[in-house]
Amino acid sequence: MDRRSVLKGLGAVGVGAAAGPLAAPAIAQGVKTIKFVPQANLANFDPIWGTQYVVRNASQLVWDMLYGMNAKLEPQRQMVESEQVSSDGLTWTFKLREGLKFHDGEPVRAKDCVASIERWSQRDGMGLMLRAIQKELTAVDDRTFKWVLSKPYPKMLMALGKIGTPICFIMPERIAKTDPFKQIDDYVGSGPMKFVKGDWKPGATAAFERNKDYVSRSEASDWFAGAKNMLVDRVEWVIMPDPATASAALQNGEVDWWENPIPDLVPVLKRNRNIKIDIADPLGNIGSFRLNHMHPPFDNIKVRQAVQAAISQEDYMRAIVGSEDALWKPCPCVFTPTSYMYTEVGGEALKKPDLEKAKRLLKESGYAGQPVVCVVAQDQPITKAMGEITADVLKKIGMTVDFVATDWGTVGQRRASKSPPGQGGWGMFHTWHAGVDTATPVGNIGIRANGDKAWFGWPQNDQIEADIASWYEAKTIEEEKKIAEKINRGSMEHVSYIPTGFFLGYQGWRTSLEGVRSGPLPWFWGVKKA
Amino acid sequence: MSGYIFRRVLAMIPVMAIVALFVFSLLYIAPGDPAAVIAGDQASPQDVERIRQSLGLDRPFLVRFAEWTGQVLTGNLGTSMFTGLPVTELIRQRLEPTFSLMFVTLILAIAVGVPIGVVAAWRVGSWLDRALMALGVIGFSVPVFVVGYLLAYVFALELDWLPVQGYTPIAKGLWPWLENLILPSIALGFVYIALIARITRATMLEVLSQDYIRTARAKGLAERPVLFLHALKNAAVPIVTVIGIGVALLIGGAVVTESVFAIPGLGRLTIDAIVRRDYPVIQGVVLMFSFVYVLVNLAVDLLYTLLDPRIRY
Repeated sequence: MDRRSVLKGLGAVGVGAAAGPLAAPAIAQGVKTIKFVPQANLANFDPIWGTQYVVRNASQLVWDMLYGMNAKLEPQRQMVESEQVSSDGLTWTFKLREGLKFHDGEPVRAKDCVASIERWSQRDGMGLMLRAIQKELTAVDDRTFKWVLSKPYPKMLMALGKIGTPICFIMPERIAKTDPFKQIDDYVGSGPMKFVKGDWKPGATAAFERNKDYVSRSEASDWFAGAKNMLVDRVEWVIMPDPATASAALQNGEVDWWENPIPDLVPVLKRNRNIKIDIADPLGNIGSFRLNHMHPPFDNIKVRQAVQAAISQEDYMRAIVGSEDALWKPCPCVFTPTSYMYTEVGGEALKKPDLEKAKRLLKESGYAGQPVVCVVAQDQPITKAMGEITADVLKKIGMTVDFVATDWGTVGQRRASKSPPGQGGWGMFHTWHAGVDTATPVGNIGIRANGDKAWFGWPQNDQIEADIASWYEAKTIEEEKKIAEKINRGSMEHVSYIPTGFFLGYQGWRTSLEGVRSGPLPWFWGVKKA
Repeated sequence: MSGYIFRRVLAMIPVMAIVALFVFSLLYIAPGDPAAVIAGDQASPQDVERIRQSLGLDRPFLVRFAEWTGQVLTGNLGTSMFTGLPVTELIRQRLEPTFSLMFVTLILAIAVGVPIGVVAAWRVGSWLDRALMALGVIGFSVPVFVVGYLLAYVFALELDWLPVQGYTPIAKGLWPWLENLILPSIALGFVYIALIARITRATMLEVLSQDYIRTARAKGLAERPVLFLHALKNAAVPIVTVIGIGVALLIGGAVVTESVFAIPGLGRLTIDAIVRRDYPVIQGVVLMFSFVYVLVNLAVDLLYTLLDPRIRY
């Protein structure tokens, strides 16, 4: 018995006498619960309407997918039993597994899949591409649906199984018919856990209970693919905005698993023999220096190249992860270093900072001292750290810096503004991209160069766009790799954006948990609690 | 008295109206975009715009203000842009933790602060007075989060006496409820104790120099009744005033304390809403806090009549 139990007992005796009817109710015995501290607050619960990672991570428990990606980023059948594609590649026919049921007891039908795909495809990049070539998407019978296209789409299964947000989760038709720009309020899925709506206190807690009717696949569990066997009865998400509190709660055994301990606190956790620490996601993240291609000075390619020549990825990464070498590596590429698309072709400019070259390029550009409006979110340690390095680098090469220290909410608004930097617009901002999104062009929003329609910064380069389009049509990995080289070279030469390095993060859990794995999401299936 | 209460309640209406207009206007001109936060990093600018439209954020200020005011007048504070839940429901979920924290802190602060102030005034100029006032300076100077972390480290991590974080509703038992509130209340009450102790000391010093105190002592009354019956009762009005004003201090402190101890209260709801620019929630919470503060001030004014029979409304 520990000291707190003794104290609790004494307290109960002392206070209990006065408490009378307020005595604690009996706690259900034998219910295995994992208490988990997620990366952020679960403020909404619609994985199509809100595309934050935390929403996706919670949604994976409640909603199942047609295909699931394994650790090799290969889409595997999940809800689907079989698929057929016509010889011309235009008609896809999918058949669902038998016995799939929603949490309300209704069977999962093909019409639910059709409605879910319709909703998802209006919000997803690949979904929009598919919609553009879609001729027909219909349910053939209860377990079969057909998708007819006007043009072959070799990446179909990747689209349906992609991990990046938004994921094509399957919902009952009545829910999936909701406008994708409006939030759902019914959380019935067919996944391995049920969402306990009554226990959801946004900003505080969210709870999931095991779905006893879940029909798991028989293959070994591998990320989103294979079996999704829940070995606990309940998963409780406990929102803790303060990392020091989360660290103390993990050490004290008040929570079992913390998704993202900050590097500063990891040494303390590592010293605790009841806690295990490991890399959370081997795909990591790529830091991003986003430039506004619409307005001076970054509308001038020479200025962009000058900045690119000046930056040291090591400086950025050390500012984010500290002294631990295992947590970062250089990344002269727009693709994740651990993915098959990674290449250093074209990335020479990022391998070694060259201030003299940067100054020369800046002079050649005719830069006239226009201030660079650096909009830097101070409430995100990663952007704050990168922003300070950037301000220093820009000053070193002779640029004028207008440093706007603000919060992420304001950056989110301001970066959407196309006004000139001095009139509410911006010159640069920092963010980072999850490695699972940058592993391929799917979800790799930073590489798009279609001007007005591109991601914030709006780079315009037809060749890069053509290369990206050709990737979607590639049929072999070798072909894809060659295209990756072209995209990387093009992105680096055009300086669509500047990758500031690749970094990893930790996760920590109590040794009472078994089966915690690394991955871009916290996978709860297969995790056992002693 | 009832006429006075009626007039004060009437006076609350323009106060709340001004607060409502102020908060709404402030949020309107403040930078930030909830649609961008909802859409996430993967969203295109077009998606962000569609979400903005669906939330009605593209409509003019006056239209939105009129709509919101109309809702508020019917007791509806609107719906959270993020959770889709009614603001009243979100506030209801968070009321108990915050009011529990404030209640325990208030009791603790009065129970500790007033005696400290009385003793310091009684022994004015002595080492005890100086020590207690030094403690008061520390209470004022050390931020809530520092006290919070220290307490959590010592009493939760090292000694394992109390939990680090969380909140247990009182319906689950008095001790589980209190167990989670002890450390946060001490952390939050530190500055409040210092404030009450200092004002009690200052007021008591003034009262203790009055003739009637000298008379009480001259007629042989023991020091305890002199201090606590004669002096403290007459010093009570300024002390009660400070306690009332201090409620604002508690509200502000609760925001930090709730974050440090992961208490799911109104403070954290406010911070989360501000970070995300969840306008209906921010407006609702600020309105509610203003209402509570106005009510506390009314209660303090009414308490004067109990403490000092000379005061009549």
